[in-house]
Amino acid sequence: MGDLETILQQGELFDGLSAEELQSIAAICREKRLRAGETITRQGEEGDELFIVCEGAVEVSLTVPGPDSSARAVVHLGRGQIFGEMALVDQGPRSATVRSTADNTLLQAMGRQEFMDLCERNHHLGYVVMRNMAADLSFKLRHRNLTGR
Amino acid sequence: MPAIFKVSYVVRGEDHPGAILNTEQAPKVGDRVRIGEREFTVVEVQELIPPREDFHFLHATVKGR
Repeated sequence: MGDLETILQQGELFDGLSAEELQSIAAICREKRLRAGETITRQGEEGDELFIVCEGAVEVSLTVPGPDSSARAVVHLGRGQIFGEMALVDQGPRSATVRSTADNTLLQAMGRQEFMDLCERNHHLGYVVMRNMAADLSFKLRHRNLTGR
Repeated sequence: MPAIFKVSYVVRGEDHPGAILNTEQAPKVGDRVRIGEREFTVVEVQELIPPREDFHFLHATVKGR
């Protein structure tokens, strides 16, 4: 197993995939390295990539329309976490602004079309990743319930 | 594969978003954790949902200085 497959295996999103399936995921991932403070996604903009945090950390913030429309941080995500999954599954605009909070933040980005093509070719892979993505969304909701944000 | 702990860190007593991150060891009371530009101390750890395969899902309450 290569370095990237080993890293991907340590995230919940790909738990349950075979070594061969992990390899096919690794083949469609693109590495992005960021300095602290760089913006990765902007709320409301188009986007078609899901991101996996391999090193470093990001801050997710939301701007709620209204008289007090300042951005409010809703969670920090560290190693092993994913973001951008909503644009991947519902094709809507970005729901939040995400910026890196640490130098040398390392992400892997996976494009919607390439991922969907992979799911069409391998239904087991598609089922496992979608199941894990749902579990991750559920975990994020539990976190938000606990923080009251 | 060794166990991986996915932890929801919630900051007690502050309006703070907390963090979610994976660790290779379960956090313990007294551990220090960095969230953004600040460090916090773990004051409580609980299982949030049952483990699945090699993944454990925890909730840790932390407080700042």
